[in-house]
Amino acid sequence: MMSKVLKYIYVLAVVFPLVFLLGLSLAQQWQFPEILPQQWTFQHWGKSLFQEGDILKSLFLSLGLSLTLASLVSVLAFFISKFIAYSKYRQIYMRLTLVPYILSPVVLAVIFQYYFTLANLSGNFIGVLIAQLFFALPFGIVIFNNFWNNKLKSIEQLSFTLGASSRQSLLKVIIPLSKPAIVLCFFQSFLVSWFEYGLTQFIGLGKVKTLTVMVFNFINEANLFYAALACVLLVLPPIVLLYMNKKVLILAR
Amino acid sequence: MKLKVYPILIKLLFWLLIVLPVVAGLGYALSYSLGLTGLLSKGFTLEYWQKALTTQSLWASFLYSLSIGIISVFISLCFAVSMALSWNKSIQQGRLSYFIFLPLCFPATVMAFVVLQWLSPSGWFSRIAFELGFINSLNAFPNLVRDFYGFGIIVCSVLLITPFFTILMSNIYKNENLLHLENLSKTLGASTAKTLKRVTLPILFQKSKMTLLLFVIFVMGSYEVPLILGRQYPQMVSVAIVQKIQKFNLNDIPLGFAMSVLYVILVVLVLMVLGKPSRKYLKPHFK
Repeated sequence: MMSKVLKYIYVLAVVFPLVFLLGLSLAQQWQFPEILPQQWTFQHWGKSLFQEGDILKSLFLSLGLSLTLASLVSVLAFFISKFIAYSKYRQIYMRLTLVPYILSPVVLAVIFQYYFTLANLSGNFIGVLIAQLFFALPFGIVIFNNFWNNKLKSIEQLSFTLGASSRQSLLKVIIPLSKPAIVLCFFQSFLVSWFEYGLTQFIGLGKVKTLTVMVFNFINEANLFYAALACVLLVLPPIVLLYMNKKVLILAR
Repeated sequence: MKLKVYPILIKLLFWLLIVLPVVAGLGYALSYSLGLTGLLSKGFTLEYWQKALTTQSLWASFLYSLSIGIISVFISLCFAVSMALSWNKSIQQGRLSYFIFLPLCFPATVMAFVVLQWLSPSGWFSRIAFELGFINSLNAFPNLVRDFYGFGIIVCSVLLITPFFTILMSNIYKNENLLHLENLSKTLGASTAKTLKRVTLPILFQKSKMTLLLFVIFVMGSYEVPLILGRQYPQMVSVAIVQKIQKFNLNDIPLGFAMSVLYVILVVLVLMVLGKPSRKYLKPHFK
């Protein structure tokens, strides 16, 4: 009985932040000490999504950035991780890979920034994409690392024995078998980019206004209602992913 | 693509995209902190490093970040172990599993915003306290965000980490067949408390210690959460580094770079000494 009550309390506690954000995004006036907003409105949603469209623009920019990064990371991590997994220096390669993976993204941004400024990559989409790639690619390699094993290697060798070319083996054997790992890597890289703020702000110089950057801008302007709206939009895609597959959320944190 | 024909290309990509950026970035940060480059560069000097290593604020930042990391991970671990042991079956399958995962959908920025709206003096809890008569004005509510002890940062980190740890512990419990070991221990005469202390907790800790350590490092290096919920002094290390480098005082920039090099050295040392984390238990086994 007690366990059941605690479970319900937990579920309420977990759902409450989402309800709170949604409520705040629909509020117009919320003065102290009112517990609930005095006025409700759909105006913020209509304005930011349809009339002014600034949050909608950020939403599409974030989607574009995250989807491009996820595609790049999935392809690159697939080939690089395969090379690492079958290399005799696997341990060394993996340790080198883990260095950018465990460093704070904003510290990486700090030490990268000089080169990005030099290459004229600061403050634009491509620059942010490359900076995120430096951080997310090791992450993708770590995801694929456990996927390559002796069984898969044997299957690949068997396909060669049966007369398949390298291209045929890759396209007809390895990629179909790797589909779950590729999907996992894609979604997790997407989320890494989707959740990112420090590196995007530092390399993007505030000009690449992703949704996380917008949330910070609204917080700095003390514009709670729009900040809450942007937060709701930030949380929605991961919830859709959760509904599709719980596994994809695990490693993205 | 003939992978065997292109090992050099793949190797080149690895060095170009993984190793070179970090080495080049560190090289620049190190040379800046040694006075070899930068706007105020006067040639090689250890002045900035001396200053960095003897400045109280640098060590305060490191210690503060480390403390926040350890406390957050410890509290999350307590909650996670309790939930994983009590609700193990429901976590692995059933509706509760979705609710365990739900907080993972919240980016750190969003969670920090929610905590700010809850715990600030004009926040939701303050309003409830006022309505219930516990406080008579906004200022009477205790400082729970942007406070000296980092209470808000810890609360936010705990909210972000706990679901992940719960899933991790639940997976270890299942994969290590802990239920069977617990039953065996009880059959041999151990009490429930002794079984927990001598069997369950040591195995859970042993199998998760590398991940726990990594999370201490992740919390230490977090940026968004302390930026929203932290204060000017003491500062978390990432915020301190960025502020030093972005400040108008040019003399602070080499100090910021020295701090970033120190932070990287510290993290790499931990990684080299303690080895590669096992990701076996990070893979959920849900039906």
